[in-house]
Amino acid sequence: MLDAFSKAVTSADAGGKFVGGADLDSLKGFIADGNKRLDAVNFLASNASCIVTDAVSGIVCESPGLIAPGGGVYTNRKMAACLRDGEIVLRYITYALLTGDASVLNDRCLNGLKETYAALGVPAGNAARAVSIMKAAAVAFVNNTASQRKESVAQGDCASLASEVAGYFDTVVGAIS
Amino acid sequence: MKSVLTTVVAAADRAARFPSSSDLESVQGSLQRAAARMEAADKLAGNYDQVAQEAVDAIYKKYPNGQGKDIDAGTQKDKCKRDIVHYLRLINYCLVVGGTGPLDEWGINGAREVYKALGIGADTYVTGLTALRSRGCAPRDMSAQALVEYNTYLDYVINSMA
Repeated sequence: MLDAFSKAVTSADAGGKFVGGADLDSLKGFIADGNKRLDAVNFLASNASCIVTDAVSGIVCESPGLIAPGGGVYTNRKMAACLRDGEIVLRYITYALLTGDASVLNDRCLNGLKETYAALGVPAGNAARAVSIMKAAAVAFVNNTASQRKESVAQGDCASLASEVAGYFDTVVGAIS
Repeated sequence: MKSVLTTVVAAADRAARFPSSSDLESVQGSLQRAAARMEAADKLAGNYDQVAQEAVDAIYKKYPNGQGKDIDAGTQKDKCKRDIVHYLRLINYCLVVGGTGPLDEWGINGAREVYKALGIGADTYVTGLTALRSRGCAPRDMSAQALVEYNTYLDYVINSMA
């Protein structure tokens, strides 16, 4: 597992170079904006259940066949598995956001997920749609624009964190579809 | 690679839980101390050639004929400097990561065996690195806290070879 710092080190080592200049500047930015990042991770973790259940009810509303007999989340057992998986994906995305690097998400969550879903008969399109809904919610939480759940924190521009977290959700969508 | 961030995430993952507020606190603590490390890494990256030259000079002052295989004196000095630069680069990595991982994995592991095979006493490197250790000066070279971080890793290498 890598983080933003060890990622810079491993890529510098591949070329036998010192870490300095622009690489070091981006790490200094990571440190300077550290509190924003921790707030973002905190918001996602605190609202995890809300983000996941919204996404799953979203796909059911859009595709009512999912809860009809034979559907992807028909029976409570499959619905529970779906909610659990949504939470797992979101959890690994909070790890990636905290470390500033996608390696933990890729290695521990996404590696082999597509094949597992294919074997279990999980409808890939609906799963990807649920991740997209989670992405919209997560971006709103990071920017603190979630209409019903505004937090009172120090004001600041979190656009780069929002696009970083959106990128992790896009990675998940790419990996399962 | 081991760092505060990856340790926190690995522990959270073992328990299958989201990052808790105590996790975030410990990350915050490490980020607060990170600015000094970045400063030291920055200064070292900008000036490593001169720093290594000073170490080489100190080594050849104490061992005018060098150690190891009988090769051309100039070549031997160049190789000595290359090795010192290698250690400085790993120290730069340790400063960036905030742990001894890069030095352990890429520098210290196996060093003793290699130097033995080459007929070079570790005391030569210790001489050079100790010279750097005593030469660093705050605030001339870097801030006091940055110098503490830098010296910590120099000491770590010296102790591993002594």
